[in-house]
Amino acid sequence: MFDRDIWQEIYHSISNNKLRTFLTGFSVGWGIFILVLLLASVKGMQNGFTLQFSDDATNSIFVRTGTTSLAYGGFEAGRRIQMTNDDVEYIKRSFPNDVEYISPRVYQNTSARYKSETGSYNIQAVHPDHQAIEKTIVSKGRFINTNDLMNASKVAVIGRKVEEDLFKNEDALGKFVEFNGLPFRVIGIFTDDGDDNAERNIYAPTTTYQKMYGQTDHIDQIALTYNPNYDLTEALAFSDRLENVFRRRFKIAPKDQSGIRIFNYAEVFEDISNFTGGLDIAVIIVGLLILLSGIVGIGNIMVFIIKERTKEIGVRKALGAEPWSIIKLVLFESVFITALSGFIGLGIATGLLAAIGPSIKTGAFANPSVSMSMVVTATIILIVAGVLAGLIPAMKAARVKPIVALSDK
Amino acid sequence: MIQIKDLHKSYKMGKNSLHVLKGINFNVEEGELVAIMGSSGSGKSTLLNILGMLDSSDSGEYILDNVPIKDLNETKAARYRNKFLGFVFQSFNLINYKSAAENVALPLYYQKVPRKERQEKALKYLEQVGLKEWAGHLPSELSGGQKQRVAIARALAAEPKVLLADEPTGALDSKTSYEVMDLIQKINDAGNTILIVTHEPDIADMCKRIVHLKDGVIIEDKKIEQIRAEQYV
Ligand SMILES: Nc1ncnc2c1ncn2[C@@H]1O[C@H](COP(=O)(O)OP(=O)(O)O)[C@@H](O)[C@H]1O
Ligand SMILES: [Mg+2]
Repeated sequence: MFDRDIWQEIYHSISNNKLRTFLTGFSVGWGIFILVLLLASVKGMQNGFTLQFSDDATNSIFVRTGTTSLAYGGFEAGRRIQMTNDDVEYIKRSFPNDVEYISPRVYQNTSARYKSETGSYNIQAVHPDHQAIEKTIVSKGRFINTNDLMNASKVAVIGRKVEEDLFKNEDALGKFVEFNGLPFRVIGIFTDDGDDNAERNIYAPTTTYQKMYGQTDHIDQIALTYNPNYDLTEALAFSDRLENVFRRRFKIAPKDQSGIRIFNYAEVFEDISNFTGGLDIAVIIVGLLILLSGIVGIGNIMVFIIKERTKEIGVRKALGAEPWSIIKLVLFESVFITALSGFIGLGIATGLLAAIGPSIKTGAFANPSVSMSMVVTATIILIVAGVLAGLIPAMKAARVKPIVALSDK
Repeated sequence: MIQIKDLHKSYKMGKNSLHVLKGINFNVEEGELVAIMGSSGSGKSTLLNILGMLDSSDSGEYILDNVPIKDLNETKAARYRNKFLGFVFQSFNLINYKSAAENVALPLYYQKVPRKERQEKALKYLEQVGLKEWAGHLPSELSGGQKQRVAIARALAAEPKVLLADEPTGALDSKTSYEVMDLIQKINDAGNTILIVTHEPDIADMCKRIVHLKDGVIIEDKKIEQIRAEQYV
């Protein structure tokens, strides 16, 4: 089918009409160029979102309780739901395959003092697992360990900002700092990429705070990460199971939003991917419209070429050209122009992205890029587009009547 | 070779219908050289186009080399044209971006002859019309007579049963016309069946038979003593 003669025909036709071929090819190339850049931008946004959230483990779930808003299970509305250490153990026992890391959180406001410097900070009393959940980077010393927890040691891991504010130029590691008048030894300093506020936090063992404040086993929140192999659906299914178990355990009405709240990052990701997925579709529609105008352009040119070549087509038919061979001639030329110019657009766009994409990283936008599957899809679209653009002119050409074409009038 | 019985053809133009061929009957034997004469508008081209399967008749019978020609779809007509017929036109109708050799090879391409063989044959027929050295030239680099000789080589290349020429000398001066006729006579001498449409009596006299058309019917059909074109070139 693709013999040398076909290529020769295409070559002749194109080289006889360089400007015209260029102009139409340009519109298709431009269409593909824009389409690729737009899709890459959406990818850039997705990357940006992922980057912003990847600071925290993206497979984390947070369980909070509050006051019930609905009467349920023999209880009146307005009941305060209080989680305890038992609930953490209960989750561990109930979901051994689902849970990766788990830690309670007890929140406490404190006024801290070192020598003459004071400041007001949030303390989160947590378990050692918490480091993995928040992806806390300990730059000096260490994080809270099981010993600290068992002994209810008065130790603290402070944020870089806390060290800066309270200790000025001193090294805080090993020093004692007062929280509400009680001395805590600083066992570690942590940093947090790009988030100053996170570096104003202080971590301490849960047991220490539970002991200090009335020998309770109360906790404010449970943070956990689930099996990292879970996909979005499995993650959402797991948090649903978790929520159901907790609603039963605490007798909270299924519709009661204030009694318990389970926050799953997967939900956020679902929203984001829905959003960017929507953008994807919008971009594809816009891109296809641009491409369509290119196709119409090529179609027009081909019709024009056919008009010009009516006589030649008549001669070919008189010499024995079958309709299909004429269709082939027109169609291949159209596909060739479309594909070639499309590939050039594709090449320039991907080249541009490869060159400058990786260096783009601002806020919610990072590394705009195209995937192999997108390139393959674009290629298929191009070839289909070429066929579509050539189809009507090709049919027209096949219908040329030799006597009309050859009449010397 | 050709048998035609009671052939009719009308052209419809809006409400009017122009009856161009009003019952044509004639036969052509193998090896004949026939001139179809007649004044302009007498229906010569129409007849030739029907013989060439470029157009269809309204009624009548047409048998070409024992094959009844009727109810042809486009593809079948194309195959028959390619197999049975060679065309020569008044305005040459060479493809302007193809060299002389490529033009001659074109019908062979549609016969699906392999490329190499095509090129060899094209050269062979160009040689036969005396234009071998011009094989690589584009039509625009050739004179009118040369163009028509390339067109004749192209018509011969497919080795057709019948050669149909519509006013092959119509666009040429008389000296060149005779050169072309000389070529046509030699091709006929080799045994090829040829039909020539012309309105020039001197060209018709160089054929072996003259069929005279007038108002859509044959008014005269006579064998003649051929005048050789050779003596004028
Ligand atoms: N395609 C056509 N449509 C309508 N009329 C035509 C067509 N072709 C030829 N005719 C008319 O038919 C008549 C015969 O034409 P033609 O066969 O070309 O004559 P000739 O070749 O003898 O000059 C002329 O009057 C011409 O105008
Ligand atoms: Mg005529």
